[in-house]
Parts: sequence; C-alpha cells; structure tokens
Amino acid sequence: MARFKPSDVRQQKSQTAPQEPNLVPIMNLFLTIIPFMLMMVVVSQVALVALNFSQGEGGGGGSGAGGGGKTDTEKVEIHIMGKGFEKTNQFLGMEIREGSLEKARIPAVNEIYDYVALDNAIKGIRASKADLVDITVLVHPDVLYGDLIRTIDLCKTNGFSQVHYTAPKVQYYD
Amino acid sequence: MQNYDSPDGSGKPARRVRRKYEEGKSLSITSLLDVLTIILVFLIKNVSTESARISAEAGLNYPSSITNDKLLEKSGATPVKIFPDKVLVGVDGLNFGNPKDLLENAQKRIDISKYLQLEANDIFKTEGHEACLVVQADSAIPCGYVTEIVRIGTDAGFTYIYFATLADPDWLKNTSLSSTQ
Repeated sequence: MARFKPSDVRQQKSQTAPQEPNLVPIMNLFLTIIPFMLMMVVVSQVALVALNFSQGEGGGGGSGAGGGGKTDTEKVEIHIMGKGFEKTNQFLGMEIREGSLEKARIPAVNEIYDYVALDNAIKGIRASKADLVDITVLVHPDVLYGDLIRTIDLCKTNGFSQVHYTAPKVQYYD
Repeated sequence: MQNYDSPDGSGKPARRVRRKYEEGKSLSITSLLDVLTIILVFLIKNVSTESARISAEAGLNYPSSITNDKLLEKSGATPVKIFPDKVLVGVDGLNFGNPKDLLENAQKRIDISKYLQLEANDIFKTEGHEACLVVQADSAIPCGYVTEIVRIGTDAGFTYIYFATLADPDWLKNTSLSSTQ
C-alpha cells in the first residue's frame, strides 16, 4: 500500500483577517477632481437663442428683410424703435406690420417696452396664422441688445421658429 | 532552578497579567467614498464641453430668455464677447478694442473679419461641421454693435448665430403688466 510522505515544510498560512483595499489613493484623486469640477460648475445657466443665417434666411445688418420667400400678406415684421426715432417721430415702442393690414403700435411705458402687450399681439398673430413660422425683427441701432433678445424670445416662445433679424438703415434728422 | 518570589509567601509564582489593548480600528472611509462617487458622477453629468466653450463671463450682464436652443451637434463655436468697454473674439479672447470701434474703425472691422474667416475655415476643415458664432453681449449694449458683429460673422462664413442669454422662464411674468390690458 502506497503511503505518501507528508511534505517536509508544510506551509500553513496563518489565518488573518481579509485586508481591506487601500482607498487612500482613490480618495486623493477624488478630493482633487471634485473641487476642480465644482469650480467649473456655472450656477446660472447660460441659454442660447439661435438664429439661422444659412441660404434663404434673413441676414443681420442688411437692409433687406429675410422673408424666406413668403408672400406679402404672410410677412410679419416687428419694428423696435429707439430713442432716436422718438425724437423725430414722437413715438417710442414697437410696431407690428402685417402685410396690407394696418400697423399695430405698442408704445413704451415710461421708456420701457411693453412686452406683455407684445406677447399678446404675437399670440393674436399666431392664432390667425397657425402655419406661419417666419417673423422678422427689425431693430434700430440705438435699441438696447436686451430688448432685441426679449423680442426674439417672445417670437420663439409663440411658435415662430424662424426669426429673421434685420437692421434697417436709419438716419435721424433733427 | 528558578526561584519564584511570591508576594504572599505561598511559594507560588506571581501571576503576571497582561493588559489587553484593543487594536485601534481604522476609520471606515467607504461611506465617504460612496458620497464622493455620487457627487463626482453628478458633476461629470453637468459639466459638458459646451459649457466650457460658452461660460458665463463675469462683468457681462446677460439678457434673460425663455428660449434655450441647443448648439448644433456637429459644430464649431467661436465666441464673441461684447463688453461695454471691450470686444473679445475667439476662444483665446483676443481683444479687438472698444465696441465703438466696430462702427467707427474700418481697420478693426477688417481685422475681426480676417480672424473670423480663419476660425471658420478651421471649423470647415472638420468634415460635416458647421460654423457657429456665439455672441455674448451685455444687455445694455446698443444693437448697432451687435448687428455689426453679426454682419461680419455672416460675411466670414458663420451661418448659425447664437445669442447667449441667461435662462429665466419667468422674465415675462416678472415684467410690469401691460398698459393696454
């Protein structure tokens, strides 16, 4: 009967408690990355208002309005008059021109443009022309940028996805 | 032969008692690590390359808007920042002087145009990419300056113009009521 000799050096590992993985390097990494990323986080969210100036669209700075080939009756323009216009024409505010229809004027209140009235007017246009997506905003050069953005914003929120931005050539005579 | 001195004189060896010290437990940082992992994932989700390109500039009073359009998927964005006292163009923020120069200094307009053309050409080298101009202007800037930048940009080949604003869905509600109502 074969007998096996027990090994001379019997390695018996002492039973020790399982070692926890060393988390210190990971912690170091995290503590480096997290403050860096916190610095990058912008609390106030920057939004974007897009205008498309590709072929067939209205361009900024030109005197011609971008209408995308719409007929005159479908063309809607919002003119934002500045203080220079007020001096010569005694009117500060906005003017909505819809083809052959009479111009709708929205006067500024205490030199502040009336956006609530403008919103209502755009909603009215939207109700009467459900399929129309093009609208042109013509802004006088002395109008503040914030007012332009708010006007474009109202057009976009009311479903006019194609907002054309045009600056008319304006000359004021005293 | 060992002699044990017994304190009580009984002859028995004195019994030495070892004080047992509990092994100091290592601080468990697993839960802390869990929290940090959650924060890290949250931050990675929020920090995008887009926000790196279009970051809010200190000293610029952005207009508010409800609209928040997204940048084109395949696009290269070139920022133009119009401060009340300076115009910075490009990712590197090259200073092209005062906003008034946009209307009064023809050479400045040419310089900006050339720079924007180079930027647009770089973007077009990447196949399928569109050139986007991101205008970041102070809300109190007259539109004449913005119009000039847009004109220069479109002439340089930027077909998509974006205006950077601050997202504020309630700006219209916060404005005073209409006089016509």
